[in-house]
Amino acid sequence: MPTVDIDPDELRELTGHDEKSDDELQADLFGLGLEFEGRTEDGAFELEFAPDRLDRLSVEGVARSMRYQYGDARGVHVPATNSAEWTIRVDESVPDERPYVTGAVIRDIDLDEESLDSLIQLQEKLHATMGRKRAKGAIGIHDLTMLRGSPATEGNPTIEYVGIDPDGDRFVPLDSDAELTPAEVLEEHDTGRTYANLVSEYERYPAIYDDIGLFSFPPVINGRRTEVTTDSRDLFVEMTGTDQWTIDKMLNIVCYALAARGATLEDVVVEYEDGESANADSNGGRTQSSGRELVRPDLSTRTKTVPHSRIETILGIDLDPDEVIDLAERSGLDAAKEEGDNDGELVYEFTVPPYRVDVLHPLDIIDDLGRAYGFNELEPKYPDVGTVGGRHERSRLEDATRTQLVGLGFEDLLNFHMISEAENYDRLDLDPDAGVYGAGEPATIKEPYSEDFTMLRTWVTPSLLMVLERNTHRAYPQHLAEIGFTATVDETENIGVDERRHVGAVLANHDAGYEDAKARLQALARRFDVELETPPTEHPTFISGRTAAVVIDDEVVGVIGEVHPKILVEHDLEVPVAAFEFDLAALQ
Amino acid sequence: MQLPAAQVAVLQAANADDATSVDAIAEATDLPPETVTGAVFELEDEGLVAVAERVDETITLTDEGAEYAAGDLPEIRLYEAALEAGADDDPVSMGQVIGAAELDGNQVDIALSNYARKGYGQIDSGEITADPDADPNADAEANALSALEDDGDGDSELAADEFSTEIRDQLERRGLLELAETTTREVTLTDDGVTELMAGLETAETVGQVTPELLTGGEWEDVEFAEYNVEADAEQFEGGRVHILRQTADRVKDVLVGMGFQEMEGPHVDADFWINDSLFMPQDHPARTHWDRFALEQPTHIDELPAELVERVERAHRDGVGEDGEGYHSPWDEDFARALALRGHTTSLSTRYLSGREIGEIEPPARFFSVEKVYRNDTLDPTHLLEFFQIEGWVMAEDLSVRDLMGTFEEFYAQFGIEDIQFKPHYNPYTEPSFELFGTHPTTGELVEIGNSGIFREEMLEPLGVECDVMAWGLALERLLMLMYGFEDIRDIHGTLCDLELLRETEVTY
Repeated sequence: MPTVDIDPDELRELTGHDEKSDDELQADLFGLGLEFEGRTEDGAFELEFAPDRLDRLSVEGVARSMRYQYGDARGVHVPATNSAEWTIRVDESVPDERPYVTGAVIRDIDLDEESLDSLIQLQEKLHATMGRKRAKGAIGIHDLTMLRGSPATEGNPTIEYVGIDPDGDRFVPLDSDAELTPAEVLEEHDTGRTYANLVSEYERYPAIYDDIGLFSFPPVINGRRTEVTTDSRDLFVEMTGTDQWTIDKMLNIVCYALAARGATLEDVVVEYEDGESANADSNGGRTQSSGRELVRPDLSTRTKTVPHSRIETILGIDLDPDEVIDLAERSGLDAAKEEGDNDGELVYEFTVPPYRVDVLHPLDIIDDLGRAYGFNELEPKYPDVGTVGGRHERSRLEDATRTQLVGLGFEDLLNFHMISEAENYDRLDLDPDAGVYGAGEPATIKEPYSEDFTMLRTWVTPSLLMVLERNTHRAYPQHLAEIGFTATVDETENIGVDERRHVGAVLANHDAGYEDAKARLQALARRFDVELETPPTEHPTFISGRTAAVVIDDEVVGVIGEVHPKILVEHDLEVPVAAFEFDLAALQ
Repeated sequence: MQLPAAQVAVLQAANADDATSVDAIAEATDLPPETVTGAVFELEDEGLVAVAERVDETITLTDEGAEYAAGDLPEIRLYEAALEAGADDDPVSMGQVIGAAELDGNQVDIALSNYARKGYGQIDSGEITADPDADPNADAEANALSALEDDGDGDSELAADEFSTEIRDQLERRGLLELAETTTREVTLTDDGVTELMAGLETAETVGQVTPELLTGGEWEDVEFAEYNVEADAEQFEGGRVHILRQTADRVKDVLVGMGFQEMEGPHVDADFWINDSLFMPQDHPARTHWDRFALEQPTHIDELPAELVERVERAHRDGVGEDGEGYHSPWDEDFARALALRGHTTSLSTRYLSGREIGEIEPPARFFSVEKVYRNDTLDPTHLLEFFQIEGWVMAEDLSVRDLMGTFEEFYAQFGIEDIQFKPHYNPYTEPSFELFGTHPTTGELVEIGNSGIFREEMLEPLGVECDVMAWGLALERLLMLMYGFEDIRDIHGTLCDLELLRETEVTY
């Protein structure tokens, strides 16, 4: 879950509540779903929260939510924007993989160390969340005074988003003194190495130019020329990405945060050239931006219509319309009563502010209303519906078998389903292709946690021997059994895997032998009224001449025998072990 | 007083003035020494005799020692051969003397290393001299060996104090004799013992074991059974028991069945479609691209997905559901939906059941649950496993409210002693509203997270063809186990690193 560091003094200042103690602030934050995890070295609160309200990734956003919670603010607020002076022109050469750009100009910002830190934090947090580690959206913030707009035909100063050859130009990136090409940045610069994987496959690399030259290499790093400092007064914010909606929303969150610091917002015109990339939106949402000319930031609001009755059923309480409107305004929404299509039932049209990225459906509005009401104020009730409970047949069979095994003196075990090839096959002298019980092609894990867990086990006996190996210092006899999950690759199955439950048992003691195992297997077969035969067989895990197939009702379903000394020694065991394993389904 | 026969015999053989050894009593009573020892301890417990223990050291010749006792020590043989060769006058070649002494193998080394030490002469540059004044008959080590051999009792044994410590240690170092300790017990009658003896003793007829002969022959009527020490600890016995985590799972299942829930069942390896897409989890959600998903290397893809359902799910992802609905601005690729992985939650069972493709269409009201394994590539530490059991449950009905959800969970957790449930508003991609559940720890009183819950989103239910409300929750079974039992490291319990002793000794709960 995302975390955000918030300076409590800044929070008090931005909310206008100097009187709140740290403890009170923490309690109020918990009410918003922001959990206090501790303090940073500088004494800031470390807050953890669920990744839906990404507009709370900075102190400005958290302060806004608290002002609504305190009742100091109500309803939707949209900051004003001045008309555009700057244009971002998107060149045809822009990489197909990253065709979208958006931007805004910020004027008259008064940045001190804290607010600059907060801006940088917001940028990083947005990258980590909505931006999907910059893959989906990346933010660049520049000192506007360091930019010189290209002399454009229509008079607006213009910057250009283009695609260039990886070694096509040079610039001095942040935290560096050297002039590097984009390709060199990926190899030689720390930040470049971190994000190299995002663009290294591109034919052309994304680049942003002004009249002076290359000043940003999104999504990797900005140029040093336009670096933002506490002296910066006017900013140029640009964002590039794989989805227009996503970067526009990220931009809105940044614009709201800066407006809360007293900055003036100014529109930017985004001009798309006609090109192939114009239709490459992952979501078919290109229509929105297909006008070739967008004005950004897009601070338009959206509406959701929600019936009064649905609000009442989800929350389980009766509400007055005025109360609903009040709850909405305290959530930063606007609400208007309307007559619905359905027999004129009462519905509301809720207006959703442009910084909200989590509202997809009317249900999300109801959740907001519930939070404003206080979910913990609701009285729990047991649902008044009757149903009949019951167990699945497979789990009943498993339980019945387990009860029998325990009655026969076995200690019931529970082992991991994931195992290594070495444990599953090699240490039992088994080849996956051996064609004996327990062999078979494994379902393997693509990126295992460690080399101990690379596949799903094909049988249970290896796990039981591992437990014996771990417990040689514990008292014998050790009679262990497990009814456990196994899997092998099977192309005839829809999921490509044959998943089974095996009954595995080992008897380890100074005098354990075949007969001990057979006696218990016979008892099981008798109790489940199935016909058991044990014709001799060969199996590499067991001693030749003391190994039999488990045949139940004329089908080979398992193996029984004395474990071969080679395997015992391999597992550091100093006592004989007799074992059997068979398919649980055979007892059905 | 009535006592078992052996104890009576011991009392009669012992006396109050002189200590009598157990061996002597055994000889006198014609009882095996171990029987006498047993009787002696019983009598000591009764306060009728006093027992004193004496530890004696004895010395025994080793085989090598016996050999030298019968012949001569190698260094003496060397000395005699050297005298013979005239080494008392002039140095003689060592090889010649060794040959004449008929020493071979390691006896040569033994002879040479002791020769000079004991003053028989000098060995220098391969030549040997003999001291004419040395006297083999006065060799203390040789005499000690002879004394042991001539002891006469045939066991070549002597009390340790008959030797000087120096000689004894020297011979022990040379491996020619062994020291042994024996414990001798001596018995003296106590005053009580004398009194009882004077008062007269009767022999009780006792029987150790109930035998078939005793029963069928009817003799059981006339015998007394020997008393056991019924307080003594018996041998430790383990027997079988159900794994503690299984017991907890069974308990949960009992509670849920009692609350009207039916159990679900389904594949561990499943398509991402069932695990995530049909839950309205965007394909670029961190939990799906993140490394905590266990994707399969082989096999890679599910054979078939229901085409019409896939289409509906894709539409929900792209465009949302309902007039005012919006979709995700995320990529959607059917190839990813078909990719196989180990399920990261058992909500894949819920979506399979809700789709009507497992047991047919499910009509409201309905309650379903499972307590099955899930897999997360997270961390392996005392409180986290890569595979663990998830309790999953859902209730389907017309018009469910969050109050119904809260009531259901309060009821469920109360069965495990967890009261005062708090609901923290939360976010899940597939539920809205969503709550993290917190409860008070039954023993420590701490507020701990005990689950995640919510009402399934319409974007999830509509494509699955569900037209009423469904509320659901999930919780790790291991978490409940650790809350109930206070275990500190879950790896001791679940998996091949488990400790049998811990499993054997965990207290039974019910």
